[in-house]
Amino acid sequence: MDPISWSVAAPAVGSAFIASLVEVVEAFTIILAVGTLRGWRPAAFGTVAALGVLGVLIASLGPVLSLVPLHLLQLIIGVLLLLFGMGWLRKAILRAAGIIPLHDEDAIFASEAVQLGRASDRLHTSLDWIAGLTAFKAVLLEGLEVVFIVIAVGAGRGLLWPASLGALAACVVILAVGIAVHKPLAKVPENTLKFGVGTMLSAFGVFWTGEGLGIAWPGQDITLPVFVVLFLAVGLATASVLRRPAMEVLQ
Amino acid sequence: MSIIGEVFKELFAMFLADARLTFATLFLVAIVGGLVAGLQVEPFLAGSVLLLGCLGILVGTVCREARARPHR
Repeated sequence: MDPISWSVAAPAVGSAFIASLVEVVEAFTIILAVGTLRGWRPAAFGTVAALGVLGVLIASLGPVLSLVPLHLLQLIIGVLLLLFGMGWLRKAILRAAGIIPLHDEDAIFASEAVQLGRASDRLHTSLDWIAGLTAFKAVLLEGLEVVFIVIAVGAGRGLLWPASLGALAACVVILAVGIAVHKPLAKVPENTLKFGVGTMLSAFGVFWTGEGLGIAWPGQDITLPVFVVLFLAVGLATASVLRRPAMEVLQ
Repeated sequence: MSIIGEVFKELFAMFLADARLTFATLFLVAIVGGLVAGLQVEPFLAGSVLLLGCLGILVGTVCREARARPHR
């Protein structure tokens, strides 16, 4: 890979890795709740089934993407990235400013445990199914976001494989850390990661929407880091101006 | 059935978490598309409109949300 390709590949791999890290932590919390409360069999069954569905989805989407003309693909992905990235960044700014509560993995773990407990009271016989479905749903929903992120940061420049490797690395890291600590990964600075990813996805979104519309950015790939810095600076400044006293975390 | 419903709800929420942000962004992209294709505006100018417009939409929607939520 030549140096210019690397200047685009590195942010793509980095964005896919960090964004996937956030999503995998959320899925891991629910799998852990299911595994701890109802045993690892339904947790593993639900996880593997969801990964299978995601695999089929990726296998069927891949060939379709290669049929779409590059400019149109860049425009569609650019707009979707803008909506997704600016949505994340908006929420991360509001959380950093103390306007909405922070995401709390311990609270989510406790909430899932309560829900599984209630299900246990209602339906004794099919509880393993409910536990398996809970894990399935968590992995499928968070996995769909990972798939979108990989496609979004990788497809516009033929970087699907590097982006996929970034996402896979995130899964391996969370799995390894999760096995080691065996409790919800509450210490992951999730809002900081979301702030960073929202910034990168928004920058990619502007870049590819522009390219899709036929705008030739001055300096081409070099413009991307400039956009990242601009979104980051504006996001941090907005959070700083709006900052309120610390509020309690999400229950 | 409820899982499929939740999958679609999640996908919908991924891109439409804030309706104002979504519609303002789509409107901006349409305007920039019109500037480039219809009015043949210089690419640098059209790119600047896109970038500054996105930053403006972001700040605007965040400030609006902050005003809408009372201090605790």
